Amino acid sequence: MEEILNRLGVQELRSLARALRVRGRSSMSKAQLVESVAAELKASEPPSRKTGARRPSGMHGEERRRSSRDRLGLLVDRERVCNFVTIEGFACGLPPVRDNERCALHGGTNISDLAIPAAGALGFHTWPALIRHLQMASYDIDALGLDPVVAEILWHLGNYLYFDYFRVDAQGLANVPMEGAAVLAANHGGAAIPYDAMMLQLAVANDAPLPRRVRVIGTEIFNMVPTYSHLYRKSGAAYAAKEDAMWALENGHLLGVFPEGVQGFQKPGSEAYRLQRFGRGGFVKLAMRSGAPIVPVAVLGSEEVHPALFTSKRLAQLVRIVFPQQRVDEMAVWLNPIPLPVRWQMRFLEPIEVGPATDRPDRLTVLETAERVRGLVQAALDTMLRERSMIF
Amino acid sequence: MDRILVTGASSWVGERLVRSLESRADTEVFSVDEIEPSIGFASDFYLSSLDVLEFAEHVIAVRPTTVVHLQTLDRSALFGADHVQSSVVLGAQALFGAIGRLREIRTVIVKSDTAVYGSGPRNPSVVRESTTTPARLTAYERGLREVESSVAQLEDELPNVTFTVLRFNPIVGATIGNSLSRYLRLPAVPTLLGSDPRLQLVHEDDAVRALQHAIDHPKSGRFNIGSNGQLYLSRILRLGKRINQRLPARQFRYAMAVLRPFGASLPPHLVNLIKYGRVTDTRLMTQSLGFEPGLNCRSLVLAAYDRLPAQK
Repeated sequence: MEEILNRLGVQELRSLARALRVRGRSSMSKAQLVESVAAELKASEPPSRKTGARRPSGMHGEERRRSSRDRLGLLVDRERVCNFVTIEGFACGLPPVRDNERCALHGGTNISDLAIPAAGALGFHTWPALIRHLQMASYDIDALGLDPVVAEILWHLGNYLYFDYFRVDAQGLANVPMEGAAVLAANHGGAAIPYDAMMLQLAVANDAPLPRRVRVIGTEIFNMVPTYSHLYRKSGAAYAAKEDAMWALENGHLLGVFPEGVQGFQKPGSEAYRLQRFGRGGFVKLAMRSGAPIVPVAVLGSEEVHPALFTSKRLAQLVRIVFPQQRVDEMAVWLNPIPLPVRWQMRFLEPIEVGPATDRPDRLTVLETAERVRGLVQAALDTMLRERSMIF
Repeated sequence: MDRILVTGASSWVGERLVRSLESRADTEVFSVDEIEPSIGFASDFYLSSLDVLEFAEHVIAVRPTTVVHLQTLDRSALFGADHVQSSVVLGAQALFGAIGRLREIRTVIVKSDTAVYGSGPRNPSVVRESTTTPARLTAYERGLREVESSVAQLEDELPNVTFTVLRFNPIVGATIGNSLSRYLRLPAVPTLLGSDPRLQLVHEDDAVRALQHAIDHPKSGRFNIGSNGQLYLSRILRLGKRINQRLPARQFRYAMAVLRPFGASLPPHLVNLIKYGRVTDTRLMTQSLGFEPGLNCRSLVLAAYDRLPAQK
């Protein structure tokens, strides 16, 4: 422990000492500070505790946010300026992507695949420049309607949830391929807002070796809710139409799916983390058609954000009046309107290869693979649940 | 000697097309429409009445070698709600009936609209020609689908004739007087609160060029015609320096009612478009039909607002 403390500066040691209420800290030298802080830490350590992720990777939200920002900053070249000029003569002032003449907005990178911040960093200070580009519409949006500027602004805001509120601990991100298509199949948690889809996108954008975009597909309800509908599109998600999913996979992007669908969303609290039926295995069919591997993802924490008290058929009837096309039988009634600050864990499992691309996926293989993915996610969830010491 | 019959000649696109065909050598142009054209034609113009049989007799009398069917516009603001059934669908039936009796005919070009796909929350983000979309259709969209299905029937019956169906994305421009262009050029544009659709458009000049291209290079099939790229409606209005006045659904309907006398009110299928948007795949247009639009989406919006800087 002394070794770690020695690496810190005097200022940081002094603030640690203050937090631990070490007396006489202002007049101590660095060696003395290290000694007393170490002694205090040893004394305050609890005798035994389950090895849950109490503090993921040993860092606070602020530190994690900073390290993610620094890593993303390496992908752009701040010394130079993008050489793009619109037809009205508006010059782009953003930093270009490393080894490229253009910035991320104007062809420096494939915006549908890589999440490289156009302004070089995430933060409120980058917003004026980004919003100028947004208003000029100086860049192209991609086929599914991803708007890189809006996505970047939402990414920055979402990071407060990711790092500070839900404190997501994402493991096994090395299993997400660095390039090429893959289907990320995750379990769906019970909440009004699909936080798990958001966290899945943010995990790959912030913590994966290469910041890639996960193109999440969902039900048509997300295309119908005012305001949410266009932000959903602009952040890179789409309605789960076969054409859109195949577009993402054929062009080598990551596709995020929640095979449980609405059933996973609307279940009573007693069934938390019990995976529902995986539909007809449509996501496996997509993977087999394109030859993309399937990466099962276990998400722990999504079920406790809005704990469901019970499910109601009455409420489902009301929803069907507003959205007649929805096939909901039961709606969950939540305990709380404000999301609870649950500590999340996310585990990306070993990819499952489905073999070369085929136009006619074998029906039994589809069901078999879907069941295998479900088993893997369920097993990972069970282990994570057993190891978890605290929800918050 | 080409004998070209243009129906719907009094529309903006029709007038430009007839003018350009008249200047061609070795071509005789016959134009038909239910309203008088706003510019004078040098060629023969026939004002068709509501009696579709009379119109069919005229088509047979003209004996065209090429038919360009542009009369698929939604003119219900002018002729009442029944217009789609009485004119678009029945007119097409009469025309196709006449085509079945003509021996000389070689090419039939039908101007359709991407409205055949409808627009709704369950449509794919990019619609291809072969996609069957699950969106609920308005009366005009159903009418267009009916027209297209009779084209498909006729295709089977007449294997020697080339049938080209051009599905145009909404046509906008600085001079065209259709309702979407007028709507977009309002000083303050009422839009639906909480929705920001993706739109793909065609410039007015590109629309005329696409029809000329289809006449010169007949190619059977269905093609989406649209410019490259897509824009969110909010960005279109920002590029045009228009005020984006977001209104709740009810207030939006009131605003549409107020705008009706000015011709800037949107028919139901365009209201759907303003809510859910639509983008089409134009790969077949460039690869199979061989047509390249001159302006991309962003520059055509600037052109429609007279803000496109002159080429250096």
